[in-house]
Amino acid sequence: MILTLVLIFMALLGVPLFVVIVTGALVGFYQADIDLMAVIIEFYRLAEMPVLLAIPLFSFAGYLLSESQAPRRLVAFTEAFLGWAPGGLAMVSILACALLTALTGASGVTIVALGALLYPAMAQAGYKENFNLGLITSAGSLGLLFAPALPLILYAVIAQQLNVGGRPFTLDDMFLAGVLPGLLMIGMLAIWSYWKNRHQARTRFSWDKAKAAVWQAKWELPLPFVILGGIYSGYFAISEAAAVTALYVLLVEVFILREIPLGKLPEITRESMILVGGILIILGVSLASTNVLIDGGVPDQIFAFISAHVTDKLTFLTLLIVFLLLLGAILDIFSALVLMVPLLLPIAIGYGIDPVHFGIIFLATMQLGYFTPPVGMNLFIASYRFNKPVMQLYQATVPFFFILLLSVLIITYWPALSLGLSGR
Amino acid sequence: MSSTRLQHALQRFEDGLLAFILLLMLSFASAQIVMRNLFSSGIVWSDPLLKILVLWTAMLGAMVATRQHHHINIDLLSKFLPHRFHALQQTLVHGLSGIICAVLAWQSLRFIALEWEEGTLAFAAIPAWIPELILPIGFISMSLRFLLYSLNLQRDRTI
Repeated sequence: MILTLVLIFMALLGVPLFVVIVTGALVGFYQADIDLMAVIIEFYRLAEMPVLLAIPLFSFAGYLLSESQAPRRLVAFTEAFLGWAPGGLAMVSILACALLTALTGASGVTIVALGALLYPAMAQAGYKENFNLGLITSAGSLGLLFAPALPLILYAVIAQQLNVGGRPFTLDDMFLAGVLPGLLMIGMLAIWSYWKNRHQARTRFSWDKAKAAVWQAKWELPLPFVILGGIYSGYFAISEAAAVTALYVLLVEVFILREIPLGKLPEITRESMILVGGILIILGVSLASTNVLIDGGVPDQIFAFISAHVTDKLTFLTLLIVFLLLLGAILDIFSALVLMVPLLLPIAIGYGIDPVHFGIIFLATMQLGYFTPPVGMNLFIASYRFNKPVMQLYQATVPFFFILLLSVLIITYWPALSLGLSGR
Repeated sequence: MSSTRLQHALQRFEDGLLAFILLLMLSFASAQIVMRNLFSSGIVWSDPLLKILVLWTAMLGAMVATRQHHHINIDLLSKFLPHRFHALQQTLVHGLSGIICAVLAWQSLRFIALEWEEGTLAFAAIPAWIPELILPIGFISMSLRFLLYSLNLQRDRTI
């Protein structure tokens, strides 16, 4: 108990989370009279999970893309096809953000890379400032549910090595499960955008513009098909899809289009690998801490405690969402995954929730956490990027928060939406 | 060589190694796909090598994250803490991290000594302790950086 409080204090003080987690593991092993070397042996299991290869490769590809002119072409492309509709430019923002986030996984990157394009474009087209800010800030984390987003991969990795029962599942199940819930979120935001801007002046659809945009984007257009087609058809393993993507993006952006000078590559590598190192070291130490928790029977104790007070699944799910929203506001999605999935998944399974469905609920709710006041990360990134006070962003995101909250509730209470496609 | 120049050289080496490892990873992963599809074969040790490269990327990435103060943490307190407590908070945060990383460094050295004694092989004829060297290297480097930051000797600078 004292240890837990000390760890929470360390975390709130701002100690890197991997240090906090490994401190817990070290103390736990010490108390159980286990050689502390066990922490390193567990950590070394990072080198025994082939699927992790996908994480550095996809991150690298994502950073390369966001540093090139690809975001500009992505916006031009979607605009050519959707810009004519009322609220069209808003839909462009939603789709472009979702696509880029699925690829980069870290949504901070999306706001930085696309915000600079979308925000002025929407302002010029006459969208109200708060609608504009709110849309971009909340769309910045959209797309986490689509393959090959890193959080989906990470959830599958963590859940599989836990071995806690429930129906076994594969990474492909996760990828399939995210499709409809992700589309639901996009759809609900799109309807809202249309409704808010239905009286707006329209532009005409132009074939010439569409053709030009397709031509401009000709090198990037095959990417979604290669990645998604390869993964969803099962032709590529996820790490192979990642290698193909990274190699293709490197060739196109650096050697064919020459938008990224060779000399900038080390810097881009470094920036993307800082993210990867930060995530993987947390994953590594959590392999040790999870062991301590499970050996100590902590998930069982929590389950016993909760099931004494909460008897039905629906109440549990509601409490879960409230808890995850609070958590998401202070913790980034990667740390939340490695810390909370080992604790919560066994409990969820105890309530008869499918592990795949639980994963989708977890990620969808954490996605909202990105812009939950007071400290959701995207609020601060957007505030910094658009030079607006955080208070204004709190206000601007409110309607979007409730729309996406509604979609999270639908996703939670309608398991078939997540499980239907994989036939679970 | 002055200490600053040594630092720069080390940082350049770190960044370069990171880029090299990623390139190696990309080449081997791609080569494997080509071999599998065209020749239905593969390099036997390419799988274990790739897994080790992932570990190296993780450690090197974490080392650079330490250098640039980019580890994932909860950045809540510093937004509300009065300014005069910032120095104290930084000393505490980095000091604690430095000590814990030192413990990890020591344990990984013991781990390597054990693997060396037992003569475990990683792949081909390469002893396992060689690729595992990145563990103590990484934790020692992180520990030293954290401790130097905690002493506040290098204010506003990366080490």
